[in-house]
Amino acid sequence: MSLSKNASADGKTLTIQIKGKFDFNLVQSFRQAYAEVNDETEKVVVDLRDTDYMDSSALGMLLNMKKTLGDSVGSIQISNCRPQLKKILQISRFDKKFEID
Amino acid sequence: MLILVVDDQPLNCRLLTAMLEQQHYDVLVANNGQEALTLLHQHEVDIVLLDVMMPVMNGFETAPKIKEYAGDVYLPIIFITALEDHASFEKCLRVGGDDFIHKPFDRIILSAKIRAHARTRKLSKEANEQKKLLEYHYNQTEREHEIVEHIFRNALSGQEKFDSLCDFHLSPASMFNGDMFLMAKSPIGGFYCLLGDFTGHGLAAAVGALPASRIFYTMVQKGMAVGDIATELNSSLYTLLPGHMFCAAAIIELSSSGKNISAWLGGLPDVYLVNEQGRVLKTVESQHMALGILDDDEFERTILHFEVDKGTRLVMATDGIIESEGPDGEMFGEGRFIDTLQSTPAITTQEVIDKVRNYAQHAEQQDDLSIAIINCLPAELEHSGETHYSSLPFEVNVSLDAEQMKVTDPVLEVVNVLSNVEGVDAHRSNIFLLLSEAYNNSLDHGVLGISSELKNQEDGFLEYYTQRADALSKLTEATIEIAASYSPEKRSVTFDIKDSGRGFSQPELPSDSTLSNEHGRGVQLLSEIADSVSYNRIGNEVKLVYSLD
Repeated sequence: MSLSKNASADGKTLTIQIKGKFDFNLVQSFRQAYAEVNDETEKVVVDLRDTDYMDSSALGMLLNMKKTLGDSVGSIQISNCRPQLKKILQISRFDKKFEID
Repeated sequence: MLILVVDDQPLNCRLLTAMLEQQHYDVLVANNGQEALTLLHQHEVDIVLLDVMMPVMNGFETAPKIKEYAGDVYLPIIFITALEDHASFEKCLRVGGDDFIHKPFDRIILSAKIRAHARTRKLSKEANEQKKLLEYHYNQTEREHEIVEHIFRNALSGQEKFDSLCDFHLSPASMFNGDMFLMAKSPIGGFYCLLGDFTGHGLAAAVGALPASRIFYTMVQKGMAVGDIATELNSSLYTLLPGHMFCAAAIIELSSSGKNISAWLGGLPDVYLVNEQGRVLKTVESQHMALGILDDDEFERTILHFEVDKGTRLVMATDGIIESEGPDGEMFGEGRFIDTLQSTPAITTQEVIDKVRNYAQHAEQQDDLSIAIINCLPAELEHSGETHYSSLPFEVNVSLDAEQMKVTDPVLEVVNVLSNVEGVDAHRSNIFLLLSEAYNNSLDHGVLGISSELKNQEDGFLEYYTQRADALSKLTEATIEIAASYSPEKRSVTFDIKDSGRGFSQPELPSDSTLSNEHGRGVQLLSEIADSVSYNRIGNEVKLVYSLD
């Protein structure tokens, strides 16, 4: 379980990548990760390519991010979800608030 | 220096032998052509003095045979003759003679002629040695070419074809020039490709291609991000390649939806995003130095993201295309390349290559033209094979006391144990979710008695977890029992989670307000993912059934 973040070469995209387990243990580090969003950031990507597990606390953290960032970024994308995680997001209607790729 | 004297007159032979030995030459004597040829095969003769009129085989017959035997190395034949007419001279030369010495012999002239021809013979032998060496190296190089081609072919073998997604051209010659193109799909359907151009040619480049392709395939198989792949490739090539060698590369990932591209670009010419008509929508310059130059600390892993529409195409090429020279030595260039792309809708790489070749037709063909075009399309669903399920019933029972709740997070451990049952692994994300929700409900609400109402308050989310950690650290006596069982008949996994708390009223399923409500989401997920969810009367035990079918 770990979290890493990267700004794209042009500074417009902030990618937060979560490895392994996405649950409440990441509450602090996840908040810190999106605290780096600045005026240049147009898009935040939560990359779940390496995420095996998530539960409802992860959903809560994502919604908190959405609330905090509000309209300061153009879009928040949850990308590279495995099918089971994608289903969890769909069940929770996250496709209404996030771009799920 | 060994000289063969061929004459049927004993007097001539003795005279010549005496004169030559006096000048420290080794001498062999033959009495006719036949004997001469026998001696030639037995000794390494440097010069032949050959009489014309002899029994058995005369000089005119012998000379061509000597020349034939000598092959590529110059073996001078000096005719010993008393004849003075031009016709005879001419015949001597025609049959292979190189010079004449007239009877009676003049010591000075003989000596001068021998020295002159010996010099030529020596040069010829040296040249022949060099020729042999050249042939050896040439063959060696040919072999290396074959090895390189073999290595490249095998390094790239097993590569799946993705015809609808990607069209590429890579000639065998460009492989030898160090160009490579790799592509693969990740488990979640993302399409990855790498176009690389090694400096240096042949074997040297092939040496780098081997580990590069292995790293690429392995990391794509794990679904790693483009920046991670670039970092790993760089680190490996930096260690492996000599200082003057590196690999300019473009590493691209197209998401499974076909709508997003991530790219790491280092050292290759501009990459173009074009629409279906071939008009350039975006020109993307290389951001980084090529792979294998910077050490791990200096290396930049930052990538670029683009959102693309369906039908957008991404074009990348090595410098062979824009550097192809036309009739007046002018390069094909980026302008002509862009024009070519929009000359035909949905142009193929072969059509591009044909146009470049047509432009550069007069020029010596360099043929290291490598180009790839990626079509941004969603991934096609893959049908996974038949799943096998274990026929044995498995049970896992864990009972945690307060101390264990503080130091361990049992959910993942139980999931890992269950995942080892054949057929269950594919469901581990769902099983984690069920167990995580159920266990955390028991711990948070049952054992610790924290209210989830807290999450609805301003910044309550963090407060909730702060309180939870606080309550957990003070916990002295409590138990949570987890029983998980796999039933091969029902192909289902059943969880029973019971806590020592006082129980809570059975939670009501919230209505469709889950996005605004900060709690209750877990309960809804449980009921959607599990086949059945049931609580006991006092609410300290929950039973979940999850079907694997």
